[in-house]
Amino acid sequence: MSADPVHGILRRELRLWRVFRRDYQLWIFLLPALAAIIVFNYLPMYGIQLAFREYSFKAGITGGDWVGLKYFEKYVNSPMFGLTIKNTFTIASMSILLGFPAPILLALLFNQIRSPRYKNVLQTTVYMPHFISTVVMVSLLHVFLSMNSGLLTSVLKSLGLLTEKANPIGDPGSFVWVYVLSGIWQNCGWDSIIYLAALSAVDSNLYEACRIDGANRLQIIRHIDIPAITPTIVILLVLNCGNILNVGFEKVYLMQNSVNLSTSQVISTYVFNVGLKNSNQFSFGSAIGLFNTLINFVFLVLVNLISRRVADISIW
Amino acid sequence: MRKRYFIHETGTDRVLNVIFQIMCAFVLLVVVYPLWFVIIASFSDSDLVNTGKVLFYPKLFSTYGYGEIFKNAKIWSGYMNTIIYTVAGTTVNIIVTVTAAYSLSRHEFGGRRFVNALFVFTMFFNGGMVPTYMLISSLGLVNNRLVMILPFCVNVFNLIIVRSFFESTIPPSLYEASVLDGCSHFKYFFYVVVPLSKAVISVITLYYMVAHWNDFFNALLYINQAQLKPLQIILRDILLSNQVFSSGATGGTGMSYAQRYADQVKYGVIIVSTLPIMVIYPFIQKYFEKGVMIGAVKG
Amino acid sequence: MKRILVVLLVLALLSTLVTSVAVAQEPVKLKAVIIKHPLTQELSKMEWLKEAEAIAGVDIEWQEISADWDQVKSTMFASGDIPDLLFNATVDSDYATFDGLFENLAPLINETDTPNIYQFFTDHPEAKTLATMLDGSLYALPKYQRYWPNVATSCYINQQWLTNLGLAMPTNWDELEQVLIAFRDQDANGNGDPNDEIPMDFLGYTGSGSPGQYHALMLLGSTGIQMVNFFQDGYFAEDGVVKSVWTDDRYKETVKYLNKLYSEGLINPETWTNDYSTYQSVARGDGEYAKVGITWGWEATDRFGLTLASQYTALAPLKTSATDTRDVRVEYDRIGLNYDKNRVCMSALSENKEAALRFLDTLYNPEFGLQILWGGMNDVDKCIAKNADGSYTILAPASANMDWGTWKWTMSWADLGPIYISDSMVVNLGTDMVDTLAQRAIYDDYVAKINEKKDLYVEMYMKLTSEEQATSGINLTTINSTVLPNLTAWIIGTQDIDSEWDAYVQYLLSSGLQENLDMRQNAYDNWLSTLQ
Repeated sequence: MSADPVHGILRRELRLWRVFRRDYQLWIFLLPALAAIIVFNYLPMYGIQLAFREYSFKAGITGGDWVGLKYFEKYVNSPMFGLTIKNTFTIASMSILLGFPAPILLALLFNQIRSPRYKNVLQTTVYMPHFISTVVMVSLLHVFLSMNSGLLTSVLKSLGLLTEKANPIGDPGSFVWVYVLSGIWQNCGWDSIIYLAALSAVDSNLYEACRIDGANRLQIIRHIDIPAITPTIVILLVLNCGNILNVGFEKVYLMQNSVNLSTSQVISTYVFNVGLKNSNQFSFGSAIGLFNTLINFVFLVLVNLISRRVADISIW
Repeated sequence: MRKRYFIHETGTDRVLNVIFQIMCAFVLLVVVYPLWFVIIASFSDSDLVNTGKVLFYPKLFSTYGYGEIFKNAKIWSGYMNTIIYTVAGTTVNIIVTVTAAYSLSRHEFGGRRFVNALFVFTMFFNGGMVPTYMLISSLGLVNNRLVMILPFCVNVFNLIIVRSFFESTIPPSLYEASVLDGCSHFKYFFYVVVPLSKAVISVITLYYMVAHWNDFFNALLYINQAQLKPLQIILRDILLSNQVFSSGATGGTGMSYAQRYADQVKYGVIIVSTLPIMVIYPFIQKYFEKGVMIGAVKG
Repeated sequence: MKRILVVLLVLALLSTLVTSVAVAQEPVKLKAVIIKHPLTQELSKMEWLKEAEAIAGVDIEWQEISADWDQVKSTMFASGDIPDLLFNATVDSDYATFDGLFENLAPLINETDTPNIYQFFTDHPEAKTLATMLDGSLYALPKYQRYWPNVATSCYINQQWLTNLGLAMPTNWDELEQVLIAFRDQDANGNGDPNDEIPMDFLGYTGSGSPGQYHALMLLGSTGIQMVNFFQDGYFAEDGVVKSVWTDDRYKETVKYLNKLYSEGLINPETWTNDYSTYQSVARGDGEYAKVGITWGWEATDRFGLTLASQYTALAPLKTSATDTRDVRVEYDRIGLNYDKNRVCMSALSENKEAALRFLDTLYNPEFGLQILWGGMNDVDKCIAKNADGSYTILAPASANMDWGTWKWTMSWADLGPIYISDSMVVNLGTDMVDTLAQRAIYDDYVAKINEKKDLYVEMYMKLTSEEQATSGINLTTINSTVLPNLTAWIIGTQDIDSEWDAYVQYLLSSGLQENLDMRQNAYDNWLSTLQ
């Protein structure tokens, strides 16, 4: 601490100036992105208060009566609260548990293919299902998993994986499986792209060295490939966990039928039903949405904390 | 260079190789068959498709679906618009994302943590559709091509991917060496970082392109002039006009003719809308080249 | 120089004169949005609409939407940025939620300004009642399309199969079961395979909504329940009391019967997951041999395709057993099929309300009503012909690959429009309508039994406050989430209805059903009191 205040301020300004002079190019780089999110993401955020207000058209978004947690309580106390939370968590955790490792394994597998041409064919093929729209995806499921005429149903039944009377798209128990596995089929190839790119950055001298040391392929995968993609894996895992409650609305909605409603009614379909379809419930919809967001955020922070402790990787 | 990976094969390796090949063949089959099915269904009678009679080749071959799709004059303007939105949008995305990611990857950068948090926060919190719509509307961006390009030009997910690539893959020693050579951030970024990051840049280019290509909701909200509508909206209209009533409650609809071929359109739409974007992949993939680091590290 | 100035001045004067004359003749520019059926062609191709705009002296910039309106709507409304006129774009709760956004039309409708709408409301006061809100305001105009049948759903049985197997037409549930068993066991369609017949098929697929009009719950009429307007979420009235099907013992009885049929393999096991498109495909079979014995649909050729349609005949409503003395009913849908509210409304912020109203009144001219429903009456559209005697003829589709229904939905706004067809007009209907009406003749005696003051509960007429609408909507989601899975599980037999019934009823009543019934009873009482 300086005895001379004027001198101290000067010195601080000098330091700031130096830092700025050092970093100004970085600020210029940052400017467009920062401006975009401030204008288009932060400016409209005053709308969040809708979750705590009674929506009124005349008074506008900020003018409705303040009702505090009324709509949160309404949701938590509603008979649908437990069911929607349970279903959402089941689907989300299954998606992460099965869906997250799949593209990693796929990328590691493809990396083992010798012929570059075959590898190209493989990669170009597996990412195609990503482009199938949800509407068509669901009708494909209906065609392939139809109880009597579905090709996949017949195959699974003849392999003994399904019982004779099973109806994979009309059974509350199988809804989650169909949802998650079809999701893997559709997105696994696409999601593996990022890992393939990361694997491609591995220095091939490393492989050579390993080979000369007599390592076999599994050992190479374990000691070179996996460490090479670990930072990507961790980052994606953290981001995925921060998305845990955002179960895709459209696919669930289209897959819903009277039989599986007990396992397929999730938060987003519930919001759609009460918020848009059956009544105009801006405030109720906003409140549930915010609730959803908060849980996601908590998950993100927790998982990020773990990853920082364990792997020293953080998204902040 | 690729060969180095496969030298000094051991016995285990040969067994493993067979196993890997079988697994790949299985994956290929599982993926290809449904895609093949979409293709043959787009040429077959819908009643037969729905009742599981079409399995390996088209039945009651017809091109009605494609006829329906291409007789719609709007489809070409849709393609045009989508290409404009995709090319312009992706260019903006890449510039904005990569530069921002570079700044955020510099550990010495003062505002780093705060700005990072600022970005991550927007992944979770937003003002909701109504305030956003009002903002866009007051900026005069409704029914303006720019709305498909500017407003959401940073995807934080992609930003984080690029940032962590910079952090984990580009050795800090490179920067120190460059500074000694008298490099500014600008120079270092353009001459060292970008050339080293082709793989990750190509990946997020693909991500952004596909997002623009498939963007449906923004167009739905902000574009209602027919001549500005992108392909996805037009295809959706075609798709729906060929679907019969889900309940028939309004009565008197007897749409037997359309019914028989309705699903042809549904499957045809996939082919028509995705073929152009699919051919992009091999070009992108080219940049996943091995050993991008070596030259720089050694040189 | 002076000359030039003078010339310029004259030119300027002239041009202002010209433009002002042109302005006087130029139609008023309006903006409108229409939510149309996806099949409906572009509005710019509809000649009759151009005529209507010309008569009203307006030039409308149309925004045509055929999908995803629900998702755009609330954003657009909340921003206050809406066009002058909105066709088929609103629901009741919008007027309260967006209070001040829509024009109250009640004070604007009178004999001089809006003669056609005035005439419509004079001829059909019930349509006006339908459109009027609790507080007397009227935000959106209704429709009346006159010709649609009393019953939306026909139950079809394959007459040829009955003949092939030497069976009589069933008259009650027990006989129906025997017929279905014969369909199951024998080669009813005569193709040599006794196992490819589906005895009964219905549309059990509901998404997350209530069962629709092609659900086997149509059998509820056998137990005496008077259902109305496509089931309307299960609400019905009996002796002036509003009840819910879901907690009624007769519903339990019907479900148990369906469970019995299901356990005997008489119902298509895929009915729960087949969507409408697949449901239709199944009944059309391979076009040569029929696949389905008994099913529900709108019209035979639509349901079974042209070649198979002649095998089917409408099945008269059944009793539950030969000894059951209960009064058999059929679902009554006349009001739901012919009337609707919320056809068109006007922005309160419009700067050209007068012109907009003029256009609306033009549309409510009954001659335009016909054209809105069936297409233009002119040489371009070629949908309707006006005969020398003043009557009208609906013309057959001019396009070879369209049937009557497709043609109608392509050429015009069809049932979604703001329609008024006066009862005094003479119209020769197309064969599709004639057939549809003929296939429903067997229901006439049953419809006649309805006592308008005791057992006709028409949800559409019920006036709920906005608070009630909101609560009712939230409750409905909860109710459906319980009712639908149970209904299916009970029919399939994975759950036991007898042991679960009481707890189920208690749960439903306590989680919103009772609340919904109470507000409906209140509204129903008010409605009944206006009838006297």
